[in-house]
Amino acid sequence: MIFMTAGELYLIPFFIYVFSYMFLLLRKKRFYQVFISLIYSGFIIQSLIFFIWLNLRGFKGMMSVDWIVFFNAWIIMIVVVLFNLFYKAKYILIYITPIVAINLLLGFFAPHVYINIKSIFSNFDQAILLTHIILILIGDSLFALAFIISLIYIFQERRIKIKKNLKLFDKKNHPFDEVFYQGKGYNLELLDSMNYQCLKIGFPLITIGIAMGIYLSNSLFKSFMIVKPIEIISLATWLIYAVLLHERVAKGLRGKKAAVFSIVGFLLIISSLSFSFYLFPEFHGFK
Amino acid sequence: MDILIIGLSHKSADIGDREIVSKKILTPELRQEFAKKLLNLKDEGDRPLIKELAILTTCNRSEFIMDLSPWAVGKEAHFIKDYISGYFFAKKGADNLFYMYLNFEAAKHLFSVASSLDSMVIGEPQILGQIKDAYNESCEFRMNGQVLNKLFHKAFYCAKRVRTETKIASSPVSISYAAVELSKKIFNSLGDKKILLLGTGEMGKLTAKHFIKNGVHNIYIANRTKEKACHFVEESFGVNEKNCIDVIDFSEYYKLLPHTDIVLCSTGSEGYVLRYDDIMPVIKLRKQRPLFLIDISVPRNIDPEINKISNVYLYDIDDIGKMIEGNLEIRKKEAGTASELVEINAKEFMEWKNSLNAVPVIVLLRNKVKDILEIELSKYIGEKKEKDLIINSLTNKILHEPITLIKKAAVDSSEANMLETLKTLFNLDLGTDKENGHKRNNDNIINKECEKGSGDKNNLSKIKLIK
Repeated sequence: MIFMTAGELYLIPFFIYVFSYMFLLLRKKRFYQVFISLIYSGFIIQSLIFFIWLNLRGFKGMMSVDWIVFFNAWIIMIVVVLFNLFYKAKYILIYITPIVAINLLLGFFAPHVYINIKSIFSNFDQAILLTHIILILIGDSLFALAFIISLIYIFQERRIKIKKNLKLFDKKNHPFDEVFYQGKGYNLELLDSMNYQCLKIGFPLITIGIAMGIYLSNSLFKSFMIVKPIEIISLATWLIYAVLLHERVAKGLRGKKAAVFSIVGFLLIISSLSFSFYLFPEFHGFK
Repeated sequence: MDILIIGLSHKSADIGDREIVSKKILTPELRQEFAKKLLNLKDEGDRPLIKELAILTTCNRSEFIMDLSPWAVGKEAHFIKDYISGYFFAKKGADNLFYMYLNFEAAKHLFSVASSLDSMVIGEPQILGQIKDAYNESCEFRMNGQVLNKLFHKAFYCAKRVRTETKIASSPVSISYAAVELSKKIFNSLGDKKILLLGTGEMGKLTAKHFIKNGVHNIYIANRTKEKACHFVEESFGVNEKNCIDVIDFSEYYKLLPHTDIVLCSTGSEGYVLRYDDIMPVIKLRKQRPLFLIDISVPRNIDPEINKISNVYLYDIDDIGKMIEGNLEIRKKEAGTASELVEINAKEFMEWKNSLNAVPVIVLLRNKVKDILEIELSKYIGEKKEKDLIINSLTNKILHEPITLIKKAAVDSSEANMLETLKTLFNLDLGTDKENGHKRNNDNIINKECEKGSGDKNNLSKIKLIK
């Protein structure tokens, strides 16, 4: 590992994920296990990279843009693996792994620049910043999952509602066909339940993360009142998820409307992250 | 020794005529009574026409599967058909309702029926069980024999091959199955779901049964006449199934809607039982939990507008029917491959059956050779045990090749004259064998030859298994 840069390391799990999809596309049942094994191998390698790098560089090593993107991919993968284990919904793994792979590729191309936080934050604030990043990323990963699940929900709900392209019985018996052609396992109740779980776990994390962000902003700019675009988008996102959670708990909102809420919320997250990290770093409030 | 099938099905007769036949052979007692009459049919020489018999009766067909006596010829087959037709129908021309298949065509027909190629819904699995029942009943009434045993086992084997080697049964096509599969697209687990069945139709019953099979524990049945609903439950469901069912007043079903997840509607009502305005408040009370409505009644009993309500999914019989249509197409495509398998199996069966024609000749030939050897060897060997051993050994060695050729000749129709030539050459007369005092367990020899011919030594044990 020491002969490779961090960016090159990200390509190892990336290529494993891409390679694994070749086995899935072969549409042979015996190759499905190879696909699953490769996905888990990719995840284990991702985890090894994370822990070894953490051991070598410490937490300050995490304060680079590429590392944050890599970390985000790792968190998404943990969430996906856990959901796959709990809900036995193979389509989650099939749909989300490409997003993880894209994240790893972005990590490779992202600037390998460390953000010097020592000069601007105290030790305590550095810990707060790290926690802020971790919480926001875990929350965002859960919302990313909710976003994909919501898309599947809307797609599947439409098929059931209009009664078209709904294959009930075509037993091709391969997960690729089951997922993409038959929508096997896509029952609306489970999709809605998973969406709700993502919201229930993700919302408190995002809330704490945003609160920490506001605290850090105050610490950095010595005022709560300086309104930056990232804060507006973050608060708007938070508000959408807060309304969604409230409606779900108090009024029993579920189904298509809940899915639409999740999609809108995540699109706002994507826009805030893209703006803050890739397009305009100053958008976040710092250079 | 000919196989004869006479019967009527949905293809040859309408439901009214099928009902007439079905009613007269509805119970095992009625069938046994009719079977006795058939087995007592005699030819002009007062010899029984039918050796073995099985009666197959399902909702779509009634068939009489027979193995005729060796002396029965084509004329007798028509006589049997006329007798069957006259037994069930008084009207003239009723024999046109019945079809008749002989030998290869009969075997092919039975194998097609067993493989569900001749069913109203191609590929449906029930028919094989019904054929097994018919065979078991034939065994029970002791009307079966070597030929029908082989014929039925070959039919079971053929049906199994068709199901495993083609996709004929891979796409289920029943409304009840489709309803359950659709439910699985909406709900994660059916075990905790509540189902409301409105009406007591046949389709509703089948669907309710299918839901119970898939783990549903709570089914409420409401009918305008509560007594009829109670009677329906009593008549239609088994003990375990009844534990999952509650009969409620029809006036109370609306109160149950907010707690129900699936509604199955199969009433005979001419108007809508569930309207758009009825469901709107229910959905609010349900806190937007999905509601699946299945309307299998004609005319429809659920307002189609209801499908526009969010989290409500309404499927009527046409919607489900369209999904099944695709599967029927798949099955029809597979039927071609399946027919080839049926034909191959029917040919194999006929080869085996034809080989039986050689058995009496083989037995006579063996006896003849043994007799000659016994007379000649008795002059030189006194000890019986040693003599018998030598006689058997020599008979086997002398006749091994001729017997192989005789068996081949029996199967091959182009060499049909060989058996006759053989009889003439060795002066073999079927009628005089026993009169000449041969008591050598001819039946045992015949059985051994048959087993060799069929290549199926486990035939008897298989019969026991099925019994």
